[in-house]
Amino acid sequence: MLLLAPVDVLNELLLRFFSADTVNYFIWPLIQIGLVVTLVALWVAYATYLERKISAFIQARLGPMRVGPWGLLQPIADGLKLLTKEDFIPEKADRWIFFFAPYIAVASAFIVFSVIPFGPDWAVIADVNIGLLLVLAVSSVGVLALILAGWSSNSKYALLGGLRSSAQMVSYEVAMGLSLIGALMFSRTLSLSGMVAAQGSDAIWYIVYQPAGFLIFLISGIAENNRAPFDLPEAESELVAGFHTEYSGMRWSLFFMAEYAAMVVVTAVATTVYLGGWYFPFVYRLEAAGYHNLYVLVSVLVFLVKASIILYIYFWLRWTLPRFRYDQLMDIGWKWLIPSALINIVLSTIAVFVVQALNGWRGMQTIEALDRGLNLTATGKGVMIAFGIAGLFITAVLLARINWRSRDFNLKTQRRNIRLVNVPKGKPARA
Amino acid sequence: MALVKTPKPTFAQKLKRFFMVDLLKGMGLTLKYNLGAIIDKDAVAGKGIYTEQYPKVRPDVAPRFHGAPRLNMDPETHDTLCIACNLCAIACPEDCIDVIAMDVEIVVAGKPRRKKVLDEFIFDTSRCMFCALCQEACPTSCLELTQDFELATYSRAGFVWNREMLEQGRETVKYTS
Repeated sequence: MLLLAPVDVLNELLLRFFSADTVNYFIWPLIQIGLVVTLVALWVAYATYLERKISAFIQARLGPMRVGPWGLLQPIADGLKLLTKEDFIPEKADRWIFFFAPYIAVASAFIVFSVIPFGPDWAVIADVNIGLLLVLAVSSVGVLALILAGWSSNSKYALLGGLRSSAQMVSYEVAMGLSLIGALMFSRTLSLSGMVAAQGSDAIWYIVYQPAGFLIFLISGIAENNRAPFDLPEAESELVAGFHTEYSGMRWSLFFMAEYAAMVVVTAVATTVYLGGWYFPFVYRLEAAGYHNLYVLVSVLVFLVKASIILYIYFWLRWTLPRFRYDQLMDIGWKWLIPSALINIVLSTIAVFVVQALNGWRGMQTIEALDRGLNLTATGKGVMIAFGIAGLFITAVLLARINWRSRDFNLKTQRRNIRLVNVPKGKPARA
Repeated sequence: MALVKTPKPTFAQKLKRFFMVDLLKGMGLTLKYNLGAIIDKDAVAGKGIYTEQYPKVRPDVAPRFHGAPRLNMDPETHDTLCIACNLCAIACPEDCIDVIAMDVEIVVAGKPRRKKVLDEFIFDTSRCMFCALCQEACPTSCLELTQDFELATYSRAGFVWNREMLEQGRETVKYTS
C-alpha cells in the first residue's frame, strides 16, 4: 500500500494546480498513455528475448547469454545496434511510401492498446463501448503497411511477400471476426471492460463455453500476425525476408516491433474475451478489504500472466510446426476456419436459445441475470459447456464431411488423377 | 482408374487424424525439451542444454584426446626426466621432433664416464599429427601429449616449441566474462 501512496499524493498535487476536469480527462490519461506505451514497448522488447530463449531451450541450446546476467540486456543491446545502423533506402524505391510504411505498421499495432483493459479502474485508458470492433478495425490497417512496404521497395521478393501477406491477412480476418461473435452472445456488449465484467459476474471464462471459438480465434490470430506456421509472407527459403527485404536499421526494427506488438494485441484480446481478462477469483477480496490500488495492480499482473501463457503458445507452435504450403494455407483459411466459425455461431445461437427455453421449464432455473452479460446458474452452465464441447466434435465431423475431397494435400496423387481423366477405357494408363 | 492405389486409412488412423495425435505428439516433444532445459537435466539423456560456454567454462575433452606436448619433470628435483635417448624422434612419423643432446663428463665409481644430457628439445606442433607414438616410445614417460588444445599462434614460427615451452607449458588466457 505504501508503494502506491504517491499516486494519491500526485493526484492531490495536480488538483491544486488544475481543475478537476483537466486532471481527470487530460493529465491522468496522458500519464496512462505514457505508461502503457512504455510498458508495451518493454514487453515487446522482452518478447523477442523470450522468443530467442524459448527457441533455444526447445533446440537444446542456451540462447543469448553474454549481455547481462542470462542475457537479460540483449534487447537493449539489439535496439542500440539497430539505432546506430544505416537507414538505407534503395535507389529506385518509392521514397515517401518506403519512409512511412513502418510507421503505419507500428501505429496500427500500438493504437489498439488504448482500449485494452489491462486491469480495472485506472488500468484502462479508454473504455469504449465498441472496443472489440475498434481492435479488429485498427489492427487490420496493419495489412496496408505490409502492402505499401512490399510495393515501395521495388523488389520482386518484397512485392511477392507483400501480396502474400495481404491475401493471407484478408482471408483470416473474416474467420477472426466471425469467431468472436459466439463470445459476444454471452457478454452482450462490445466493450472489452464490459466483457471482463460479464465473465466476472458469471464466474466463468468464455473459453469453457466457446472452445471452438477460442481455437479458431487463436489459429486465425497466428495467421493474422504472419507467424509460423503461417509465416509465408516472410518465408526465408523462398522470399529472402518477404516485405521487409529492403529495410534496414531502425525502420526494419519498427516492422519487427509491429509484428511483436500485433502478437501482444492478439494475446491481449484472446485473454480479455476468452480467459476472463484481469478477472481472477480471489482478487475481488482485495477490493473488499479496501486495498484499491493494490487490487488494480494485482489484476494487471493476472492479466499479464494470462497473456504470457498465450504468448508462450505462439512461440511453442512456431518452433514445433513446419510452414504450410500456400494452397494449404488458403485451404485452412477458407475451407476450414471460416465454415467452422459460421457453424460455431449457429451452434452458440442454438445453445443460448436452448438455455433460455429451458429456463422455467418444469421448474428448471438456468438464467440468473441478464443485466451484466448472460449470467447462468449451475444447470445453465452445464448445458452451455456440454454444447461447447459437443460443438467441437460437430464442427469437426461436419467439416470433415464437407471437405472430404480436399483433405488430401498430396499433390502427386492429384496430378496423377488429373492426367488419367481422358485415358480411353481399354488402354492401359501410364502416369 | 488410379494406377497407384493409396491404401484407405483404417479406423484407428482416422481417429488419430481426427484428434490430431501427431500434432500433439510434436508439441509434447518440444515442451519436453523446453522443460528439460529449464530444469537443466543431464544433456546426455537428450533433455538438457548441450551448449558449452567455451571461453568461460573449459570443456571436458575425451579421455583419448591428444593435445599439446609437454616434457615432464621429476617432481622432487625438478630435473628433466628426458635421457636424450632420441627414441621419440625415431618413432615420429612426421619427423617433427629434434632432440639435441650434449656429452657431459661425470664420475661414476671413481672412473670418468661420458653421459648424454638433454640440451634442447624442439617440437614442431604445426607438423605434428598427435598420434602419440612418441609418447609410447618414451622410456621414462617424459614426453606426454596433454589434453590442452589451444595451440593457435600468430606466426608460423610460433608453432615450433622449444624446451622451455615444452617444460613450462603455454600460458592460457583466463576469460572472466
